[in-house]
Amino acid sequence: MREITEEIRQEIKDMIFDYYAEECEVEKDEITMDTNPQEDLGSDSLMFVELIEMTADKYDLDIKLQSIGKYMLKAPMETMSDVVEMFCKIYQYGNDIVNQ
Amino acid sequence: MYNRAFLFNGIGSKPEKLLVKLPSELMDKYEFYLDEAFGRLGLNKDLEKNKAYDGRVAEWIISLICDRVVFEYYISKGIIPDIGAGYSSGIVSISGCFGSVSHEFTHSIIMMNRATMRCLEEHDQRLDMGVVIGFSYSDIEEMFRDKFSSDEIIIGSGNSKFHVMVSGKADSVEKALTLCQNEGALKAFSFGTGVAYHHPIMKNYSQEYVDFCASTEYKDPDYPILSIFDREVMTKGEQILRENQLNVYTPIRWDLAIQKLEELGVTEFFDVSANGAVSKFSRVSRKCKIYTLEDV
Repeated sequence: MREITEEIRQEIKDMIFDYYAEECEVEKDEITMDTNPQEDLGSDSLMFVELIEMTADKYDLDIKLQSIGKYMLKAPMETMSDVVEMFCKIYQYGNDIVNQ
Repeated sequence: MYNRAFLFNGIGSKPEKLLVKLPSELMDKYEFYLDEAFGRLGLNKDLEKNKAYDGRVAEWIISLICDRVVFEYYISKGIIPDIGAGYSSGIVSISGCFGSVSHEFTHSIIMMNRATMRCLEEHDQRLDMGVVIGFSYSDIEEMFRDKFSSDEIIIGSGNSKFHVMVSGKADSVEKALTLCQNEGALKAFSFGTGVAYHHPIMKNYSQEYVDFCASTEYKDPDYPILSIFDREVMTKGEQILRENQLNVYTPIRWDLAIQKLEELGVTEFFDVSANGAVSKFSRVSRKCKIYTLEDV
């Protein structure tokens, strides 16, 4: 397991918020941790794949999409808070996220 | 020899998602082409007022018109393709834009899908297509191997390492999508179109469509087109005709077509769909880039 600091957690949150703001063409300050990325921002799965690829590149992670898919069966992403939490877990556990 | 490729999307994008991305300066042109096409074909611009099959093909024709507007915009900006490729019904679209047949004829090809849908209904064939996000072609191939026969379901297109389209009997498509979801797909959903484009079963129900494709003369295209079936570079009208005919009942390897374009030297890809849909499900290597209308 990789350690995650508060700074990294904040960095991940900023990266995710910046990404959705740009892709969904909304102001960043309109997005909160309670925002639903699909319903409120109109995001889709392909945007999500891009975010995963971007994160994997940034933090040099080798992550299979299926591991994330299986995790999402247990923990659906309904709010930005869920998204941030999931990406922090990806950072920490990589493919082992499926067992979290 | 080839540096810049234009990529044309197939059907599937909802008109509202396309139109919201068309800049206002292109809307006049879009409206002009739409009025002309819908008037000629007897389609209602209020899509809900069209009868079942008409409504569906009307949406697809809107997609073709958007492609045309974007294509002409790129050309007007001096962005000229060295080659192109069309994903699924993007073949019909590219045939018109690259000058092999008239735009009017491409609309009529799309209208012929009604005959195919009618024929499927008459034979009580319940077919469907779906998309799986999160698995590659080989992942799905492996997963389906012992569970489905090719009569039931096939991979209609490998789009990229994480995006696959499946096609076949409606109940098998439903089962397959559930399986994929349980195995960790990020998303798996059906189109619910009642057709299984790119599945060989479609050959039995699309004779009228196939015959219609051959009812005009195909000129050599203004720019070469890469076949998404055998990945040959097509420069002759008769090759474009064949591509249009094969399209209905032959599986695609879009991922390999993109790879082939890169091998041919392409580094700049231009997505001709108004909403950048091709750029979302296609992947190119790091030395290449897919530009969208928004970029231009």
